[in-house]
Amino acid sequence: MTIAAVIREASDAAEALSPTFPEVALSADDCLKCNVCNTVCPVARVTDLFPGPKYVGPQAQRFRIATMLPPQGATTPRIASPDATVDWCSGCGLCTIACPADVKIAEMNSRARADLKTVHRPRFRDWLLGQTDLVGRVGVLFSPLANWSLHNRLFRWLIEKVVGIHRRAPLPMFARRTLRSRLGEASRGNEPPPDRAVVLFHGCAANYYEPHVAEAAIEVLRRNGFETIVPEQVCCGLPMISNGFYAGARGRARSNLPTFADYARRGYRIVGTSTSCTHTLKAEYREMLDLADDDARAVSEATWDICEFLVDLHDQGRLDTHFGRIAETLPYHAPCQLRGHGIGLPALDLFALVPGLEAIDLDHDCCGVAGTYGLKKEKYDIAMAVGDPLFARVRSAASAGASRAACDSETCRWQIEQATSTPVRHPIEIIAAAYAAGSTTAS
Amino acid sequence: MPRADVVVVGAGLSGLTAAIALADTGAAVEVVARGHAATHWTAGGFDIAAPDGASTPADGVGLLAARARPRHPYARLRDDVAESLAWVRSVLASEGLEYVGELDDPLRAVPTSIGGARRAAILPAGQAAALAPWAPGERLVICGIAGFKDFWPAAIATSLRRQEVWGAAGSPDARPSRIDAIVVDLPDQAGRHNLNALELARRFDDPAWRSEAMGRIADAVGRSGRLGPGRIAFPAVLGLNDHAAVLEEAQRTLPLPIFEMPLVPPSIPGLRLYYALRSALRRRGGRLVVGEPVARVVVERRRVTAVAMSAAVRERLIRTDAVVLATGGFAGGGLIGEPDGRLVEPLLGLPVEGPAAAEWLSADPFDRAGHPLETAGIRTDADLRPLDGAGKVVVENVAIVGSLLAGQRYLTERCGDGVAIASGRRAAAVLAPSRAVTPAKAQVPA
Repeated sequence: MTIAAVIREASDAAEALSPTFPEVALSADDCLKCNVCNTVCPVARVTDLFPGPKYVGPQAQRFRIATMLPPQGATTPRIASPDATVDWCSGCGLCTIACPADVKIAEMNSRARADLKTVHRPRFRDWLLGQTDLVGRVGVLFSPLANWSLHNRLFRWLIEKVVGIHRRAPLPMFARRTLRSRLGEASRGNEPPPDRAVVLFHGCAANYYEPHVAEAAIEVLRRNGFETIVPEQVCCGLPMISNGFYAGARGRARSNLPTFADYARRGYRIVGTSTSCTHTLKAEYREMLDLADDDARAVSEATWDICEFLVDLHDQGRLDTHFGRIAETLPYHAPCQLRGHGIGLPALDLFALVPGLEAIDLDHDCCGVAGTYGLKKEKYDIAMAVGDPLFARVRSAASAGASRAACDSETCRWQIEQATSTPVRHPIEIIAAAYAAGSTTAS
Repeated sequence: MPRADVVVVGAGLSGLTAAIALADTGAAVEVVARGHAATHWTAGGFDIAAPDGASTPADGVGLLAARARPRHPYARLRDDVAESLAWVRSVLASEGLEYVGELDDPLRAVPTSIGGARRAAILPAGQAAALAPWAPGERLVICGIAGFKDFWPAAIATSLRRQEVWGAAGSPDARPSRIDAIVVDLPDQAGRHNLNALELARRFDDPAWRSEAMGRIADAVGRSGRLGPGRIAFPAVLGLNDHAAVLEEAQRTLPLPIFEMPLVPPSIPGLRLYYALRSALRRRGGRLVVGEPVARVVVERRRVTAVAMSAAVRERLIRTDAVVLATGGFAGGGLIGEPDGRLVEPLLGLPVEGPAAAEWLSADPFDRAGHPLETAGIRTDADLRPLDGAGKVVVENVAIVGSLLAGQRYLTERCGDGVAIASGRRAAAVLAPSRAVTPAKAQVPA
């Protein structure tokens, strides 16, 4: 066989394995072995258990590829990963961001972790942490009881022993009613055109735990001439991706995509307050789950983080900038998932428009929790150590008079709140408050 | 909103130097980079110029500036070098990073961690003890760390014992009289796998751990033979965020002066340099966004009006009055050599000056003269604006800096840092907005 034929056969096989295989798996070939990724890994910074993204990523990838592609593929048993320590990766994604050669390190490692789960029996705990919408539904239904027990020390001890969720890990409070029930049934027959309405992907956090965040976004959007359409939806699937349950995540994606793709094709923009959900719709359906069809592409291209959307409005001169004065110093943490968007730090751009508001970029890599990572019994201490310098900066800002902090991602907010006892708000809540302050002074 | 007076593309030494100098003028400056840059790969010193035949960096700059073909960037920048270097050193000193050596100091053979020697005159304080001439009877103790696979003291010593490593120019007393190799067991490192420089440097930041570690290094050096005069060469892991304190403690408690040997990437001295530059930029209100590659640059009537960042989905436009192009050479992605022999500058499609495809490489891979391809780059006018083959300015408000500049062979001429600093500062002087701008507030938490 000629070399060209081998290459052709290999790339056909790669294509058959997954449409994004060359984009992710084969990007290992671009690795210069420069170790830049290892210098930014927050987990490797605090523990020996994880050797760093380079070792489990591009370095290990050649062994994975070797067993996936012909001619070896036919005879060699497929190995999920030569190195099981990939499970200590928190999935923050900072390695991909830092890589000067555009290697998809974090995506590679997430896939390797999912492959490991297909070989080793997954833990019940990891399955449960992927079921955010199921947990949310049950929790809201029994919210007083659920909130009491999930914040009761004896129950938390029991949960740690039985399930493996750390007793001090930050768990949010269930809302009394879901966002969807507070909003009432969305009337699909009566939708304003795409220049006067956006479609909300509220995600699990805003639906089950923090309806006020979505309501703040709806209010801010209304103020700028946009009604909000709230279609039927399920969890974006990210918690399943993070815990290595790709099949389940694909199921979630497939139930979301047709509805949202339909809106996207009609010119509606999809806006979300959870920066990790919107990042999943934008990038992870493709890069992790291999969903590269027309629906996935349409949704990806139409999705906006709420602050990104508002900054874009401002850029077009369409943002209502009649903000009232909010005289405070506001420490701000940019979450890892937001950096994955590659949209800069739009919340800081918005804060700069509010008179009196002095935002401080806390300039720390990661709060540690990385979605559900920091909730796990064996990973809690790592997550706390990762976030420790951030917590110190929040505490120091608080002792200097800051009454709250801001952060775009829900799990990060809960982690920082738990660690510092300082309330942490979504930027959109601050913006909504600035509008409210403006209305008060005007009237 | 997404608007900057100047967008700097690239976060290496030249880009960050330009950005800091711009921020000093009160300009709103945003640095964008597709990933971390060459600072993480380099030795952290200042290579100004060390071509064959140069006795000092200043001498080297003069030799390179005088060369007719190809014209070296120093032909335009030579008068900026001294002032730029002094300025960068003052910026770094205020971030706690000190350097030793001057442009008129002799270039000396400094031993390296692969048992070779390189010629240097200006080094970070941590490497400075390598610069002093070796006195008669002076001993070099190469101290490795048990379990650390990036530094092999016995192999380094064996190689360094060969006279030719130190260069033909060296007189017998220009090298240590004796070279010893020792290995020290550092606290709680036994049995660890993947012991790496980053981890070791972070351990040295911990005062309790390092005081025990220093004790063990002192003991190991003491056991290695009659003390006498000498110096210790140690892998460059003496602290990451608290390097000055680690170095001070090492100098105070060890029986001999110590110097660091830079290692394979990630380079700890390079990381220290990057952190100091980044901190200096932020302190001046500049912005730095890593991980967003530039998708394209919008040019209207020979002026850049915006830089489009490729985000996860759609482009993010940053409107700007000027651009500093600090994207590096081939290694950094600033230049691309196509298989068909074309040399491409991918962002603006600027004309690249360089050899024809048949002349890219020389027959001897280790030719002292370097490969002709190394000189490829963008030709500029005195304001660092890119020129075409006819010498006409291609884009008005763009400045080319660093290793993207045509005519240098930074590997053999060892001029990369000097060109980066001088061109970075020149670019800032040229592009600084003339109108008064309120400086953005420095927002560094306590």
